[in-house]
Amino acid sequence: MDALLIIAAWTGLAALAAWGMQRQAGATAPLAAPFLGGGTPDTHAWQRYHFRPYTMALVFIAFEMEMMFMYPWAVVFVREGAKALAEMGMFLGILSVGLLYGWREGIFRWQ
Amino acid sequence: MSVLLAAGVLVALALGIWLGAWFDRLAPALEGGRAAGPMAPLRDWAALLIRDQAETEAPDRMNRLLAPAWYLALAAIGLSVVPVAEGLALWHSPVGIVVWGSCEALIVITVFLHGWSPNAPFPLIGAYRYAAIGLPVMLPSMFVLIAAALPAESLSLIAIVDSQRDSWNLVRQPLGLPLFLVVGLTLTLRGPLDFAGGVDIAGGTSAEESGAGLFLWQVARLATLVAFSALAAAVFLGGPLGPLLPGPVWLALKTALVMALTVLAGRLIARTTPSRMLHVLWVWLLPLSFAHLAVSGMVAL
Amino acid sequence: MSWLRTLAAGAAAPIYPSIGAGMLAEVEQLFASAPGLRRAASPRDAALLLVAGDIPAEARPALDRLHDQLPHPRRTLAWKAGEPSTQISARLNEAWRDLAHGAPSEPDRLPDEPPNPWRGIGPHGQGGKGMMGGTPRGRPMAMTGADIRDGLELDRYTARVGPFAPMLPPGLTLELTLQGDVIVEAHVLSLPFPQPEEADLPALCAARMLRLLGLEGAADRMTRGHAPRAAWIRGAVPAGLGAWPGAGDARDRLDAWLSGRQEGGAPRDPARALPGLEWHEATLLLASFAPGTLRRALAEAQDLQEIPA
Repeated sequence: MDALLIIAAWTGLAALAAWGMQRQAGATAPLAAPFLGGGTPDTHAWQRYHFRPYTMALVFIAFEMEMMFMYPWAVVFVREGAKALAEMGMFLGILSVGLLYGWREGIFRWQ
Repeated sequence: MSVLLAAGVLVALALGIWLGAWFDRLAPALEGGRAAGPMAPLRDWAALLIRDQAETEAPDRMNRLLAPAWYLALAAIGLSVVPVAEGLALWHSPVGIVVWGSCEALIVITVFLHGWSPNAPFPLIGAYRYAAIGLPVMLPSMFVLIAAALPAESLSLIAIVDSQRDSWNLVRQPLGLPLFLVVGLTLTLRGPLDFAGGVDIAGGTSAEESGAGLFLWQVARLATLVAFSALAAAVFLGGPLGPLLPGPVWLALKTALVMALTVLAGRLIARTTPSRMLHVLWVWLLPLSFAHLAVSGMVAL
Repeated sequence: MSWLRTLAAGAAAPIYPSIGAGMLAEVEQLFASAPGLRRAASPRDAALLLVAGDIPAEARPALDRLHDQLPHPRRTLAWKAGEPSTQISARLNEAWRDLAHGAPSEPDRLPDEPPNPWRGIGPHGQGGKGMMGGTPRGRPMAMTGADIRDGLELDRYTARVGPFAPMLPPGLTLELTLQGDVIVEAHVLSLPFPQPEEADLPALCAARMLRLLGLEGAADRMTRGHAPRAAWIRGAVPAGLGAWPGAGDARDRLDAWLSGRQEGGAPRDPARALPGLEWHEATLLLASFAPGTLRRALAEAQDLQEIPA
């Protein structure tokens, strides 16, 4: 209940402030044109954008999922002792091999 | 009681925003420039508020209007889980660091929306760049926070503060704060990690922002600086723990210290190209945070 | 809300400089030293348009476009060679105070017409047909093409950038095609404006690169003639970027400037090196040559192209 109330209250307050303060008046065409240092575009900027680090994004998903296992692990870590350390060590070890492989394949850069 | 506490958090946030903005305007003195007085942030904000907010060509109006609001709200939500005194937080979440982690991830999305919504080239480049850098920064952040949760045997920030009675995490886990500063620079769009902005893309995601929209965005960035610094103070510097002075005062002092550190790091470290930063994050920073977790684990046992 | 206006009048004047021939170094010195002036990252954040030096006739339409992109209230000030910087600084401060107190704004210079007529055209009156056809809201949508790095068929975005783009040397206009943030085609439409030799001073050249590396404060310090205080300056520039025989790479040239040496070598046809570079890399490459050197190299390459084979 606390959680819902706090999230709703802060979000509502911020949204109200944003709504109340901003006035996006209809701009004339030359005022609205996108800034290119005096230049002009041929097309709209929205596009099927070539997101260069797309291979990295895939590896990221794998790492992000592993975080899910780490939260409960962190809570029982001291109680379980060396066993927990060894388990997570192995898990991270396997992930590190993947990291090394990715590095060798050159995925952590702009494609 | 909790309404009073909420009002207190709001006032603290507002004061923190002003302090952060002043730090930003004091910093040039370190480089032989002029330091501005404490009124300077208010003057600059007034200068934004008296000017029009220009609409762009065929924008995504709703996201443009609300991106600063989400950013501001996420900062306030993140700040709510930070204990202001021993055993007292606005939001007694048993999973405080998970709440903060979600705020971090949603900030990346918010910054993306901010750059996406004006339908203009430089903001769009900033948006995608920031997404590429913001995602891998989430990983060290989680490793660092989980390492801090180990000795506390809990994901609650109140327990994490409590676990630092004998020695701060800064001492037990010396790599934690420097790694977390990288996260802070990313979340507040600063210096070496400001991939949403930059001169090379004319201010990036806010290149098309003016007037009240730009004001709100700047305020939201500063609010995130306050929230991040308060969280870092709680996780690494014992938060409200300290002799003589009351808890909230200790937390405020430590928060101001982390804010100053973040402002300094943002000014004094160069920003490399996004491609190289991606490499640095995955090949150096991520293994370093693995090592940090392993060492912290051994120390905790 | 007069208290808000009074407060605003005390703020630093937000200025977007459009730099013409001969005034590059002066403008840089002005913003690094004069009190009460702030160089805005884009015209959206500016109230004053500073037109410094002579703007050639062919750059006039671009200046008008830039002028109209400043939100209201706005004002234009011309800074001709010979006017001392203390004087222009005072004029800028005064103009900002006027605007803050409600002085009238300048109207658009260009007609209020969309780039293409679209209202009422198409099945929903949005100016298009189908998903991508026509000119929805006045402009066509980008279309796909094979990428030069990985061959992926994604959209190509073509635009002209400059001559008053903050990340390019003043005067330089490039027609660029981008896929994502990587340049796949680049053509020079206009050369950088000629600047006096003072603009090629090592400290100013280094400061321009520092700005692109996010070190605003260090760049100002360098412009004022002191060594910068910052970490990872050299390392932040990728090794091998913009390497030419006899000229080293961008990192070498920055190194030379930081230690006060004029760089020696010149690039051959630098515009041809842009395709394949990510946007930040491309701006760093162009800033890694002194404005005079870059202008000569770009002019040389244009002369070569004009000679029939």
